[in-house]
Amino acid sequence: MGRSPTDLAIFVGKRLLQLVPVLIGITILTFVFTHLSTINPCAQWYPHADPTTRANCEHLFSQPLSTQYWQYLTNLVHGNWGASVEQVAVYPQIAEGLPATLELVLAALFLMIVIGIPLGVIAAQSSGRWPDHLVRIFYLSGWATPTYLGAVIAAIFVAPYFGLPSHGEYSSLVPPFHQYTHMSVVDALIAGNLPWTLDAIEHLILPAATLAFINMGIATRMTRSSMLEVLPLDYVKSARMKGLSEGWVLYKHALRNSLITTTTVLGVTAGGLLAGTVVVEEVFGWPGIGAYAYTAIGGGGAAPNFDGAIAVVAVFAVGVVVANLIADILYGLLDPRVDWR
Amino acid sequence: MSDPVVSVEGLSIDYVIGAGRFRAVSGVTLSVERGHVVGVVGETGCGKSTLAQAIPRLLPEPPATIGEGRILFQGQDLVQVPLWKMPRIRGTGINMIFQEPLNSLNPAFRIYDQLAEAIYIRRVREKSGAVTDPRAAQAYDYSRSQDPTASEALLRPVVPAGAAARVTRRAVERHGDLKPEVLEYLRLVRINDPETILDLYPHELSGGMRQRVMIAMALSEKPTLLIADEPTSALDVTIQAQVLTLMKELIEEVNTSILFISHDLGVIAETADELGVMYAGKLVEFGPVGELFEHPRHPYTKALLRAAPTRYKSQGPLSSIPGSVPNLSHPPSGCRFHPRCPLMKPNCRIAPGPGLETVRGGAANHTSACFYADAVEALP
Repeated sequence: MGRSPTDLAIFVGKRLLQLVPVLIGITILTFVFTHLSTINPCAQWYPHADPTTRANCEHLFSQPLSTQYWQYLTNLVHGNWGASVEQVAVYPQIAEGLPATLELVLAALFLMIVIGIPLGVIAAQSSGRWPDHLVRIFYLSGWATPTYLGAVIAAIFVAPYFGLPSHGEYSSLVPPFHQYTHMSVVDALIAGNLPWTLDAIEHLILPAATLAFINMGIATRMTRSSMLEVLPLDYVKSARMKGLSEGWVLYKHALRNSLITTTTVLGVTAGGLLAGTVVVEEVFGWPGIGAYAYTAIGGGGAAPNFDGAIAVVAVFAVGVVVANLIADILYGLLDPRVDWR
Repeated sequence: MSDPVVSVEGLSIDYVIGAGRFRAVSGVTLSVERGHVVGVVGETGCGKSTLAQAIPRLLPEPPATIGEGRILFQGQDLVQVPLWKMPRIRGTGINMIFQEPLNSLNPAFRIYDQLAEAIYIRRVREKSGAVTDPRAAQAYDYSRSQDPTASEALLRPVVPAGAAARVTRRAVERHGDLKPEVLEYLRLVRINDPETILDLYPHELSGGMRQRVMIAMALSEKPTLLIADEPTSALDVTIQAQVLTLMKELIEEVNTSILFISHDLGVIAETADELGVMYAGKLVEFGPVGELFEHPRHPYTKALLRAAPTRYKSQGPLSSIPGSVPNLSHPPSGCRFHPRCPLMKPNCRIAPGPGLETVRGGAANHTSACFYADAVEALP
């Protein structure tokens, strides 16, 4: 094993192969849990339907779970992700919602990196003194805030205070236009319209900031603790002895090494960020798969949509695995001592 | 006659840890003359590394605090310089070689980048006039195939004369411009084929190689004062000898001043001009190396010399100093060596104890902190 591109390719290939058992496991778990939670949803689904539909439904649910799962899996392999009760297919919903969710998560991650990591450096540099305590209060309050509360507070109180929009991807001034990527900012850029782009960014700020605020703690805390580990080391002293300014020493020599640990942790936060989108997207009317998951599990009084819920959970699982894979690749790139394996 | 590069006057350094407070260095006075190598020896924990790191203000403050004293360097008292101004003095003014070569290079950067950074800093300072080196006399001929000697590398003007002198800052930043000098300094520390290690990371080099890179890095900034904090103790004996020989050659060729911290008397004997002996945070004896080795005037120095294994003293068991190193949070009153001293008399216990005084019948700069310095010769 070494550090050549071939080694990297083998490493990535192996990790992607691991996705197969993960996906099978995830679908089984969510399938079992969704189907166990409601004994027989047919009455709720088809209260006024004709007897044949109702009978078909009851017949399906009377079969053993394994048969039902096999049927689901067979459909999935054939490209049929299922549909809601209203016969709205799951796949197009996911395909359109996923980029929007991705945009939101990446924006939140961006905020976590450009705000959370420097805060960690500041906290480590002034460890035990007031800036450190301020930073701790800041990230702990984010950590301690339940997602729904944070989102609601941001939408109701913060939005009007800063005059920021709190619903949807664009304001009503932006006419409907063809969206290539379903990422609001990217689409507005592709359309070549600067006001639309600024409008899209304005709409992105609050949901992304909410998501970032709630998940920022771990990035700040990891940066702080790994900086505290790195700062007393001899190579930081020898960097200082070169006559480098303190900022150069901190942000080039020390941070470069402490980022190695922080990246790994940022990969882990992918789960928290994705889970956060369920509530944040619903509150901010963001048309992503988080909001879709909320309705699929019966949020807002909708009929439960098992196929939709399983699909979102599976997509989130892939997201978490891929995020950790990216974190591991970055880890290897940042630390020259690591071999790909 | 006296032209000290750095003089430490009555320096005391305290560590405050929790509610406890102890004085790691108390009232040390020491100066390094231009072009001299001053050694400092002492047992582990005697405060010699604290002293070494206090001079460039590298100690983390807190927990360390400089209680009293002055560190005079280039006309200013470093104790009074605010920490944010210290980077201007470090590097080209005072540089340091650390104890652990394995840890003192940044593991995330290539050898080339780390060396180029040091050279870049020096060039920027020289361009801005922050560093004026009176030693710079003649230009060095880049086209010559022969490796430069240490004195050539260190003495030649940094900015070549003529048209090439008009280097812009951007040109300095360009890698191609720094590369010849990086290679030159690596050759200076006797690394053959330096091109092959430029793109390597520190963990891909051996300990001896890393220490040579560290030495090259420190020398490449042409520091006025070089502090070597046990530069060879983490290396195994054969590599130690190589690095030591190299340092000796460099010291002989170059008119630089060195403060050499070690616990190894053999290393000091080979390199230093003057030697200071520290015990429990205090300097107990200072003098020319030869005289101090032949005629020590402090019972601790005498005991230390007796305890040092030499190749000539093969018979009998190794001797050791009875007793143990005092706890610095509760040091003995008076002379700190009195509990272990064969010459101890009642007045040795009374504070403040003996101060450094010039010894009778020795060199002018030979001082000892013992009431009974004249009796030391008679000790076994």
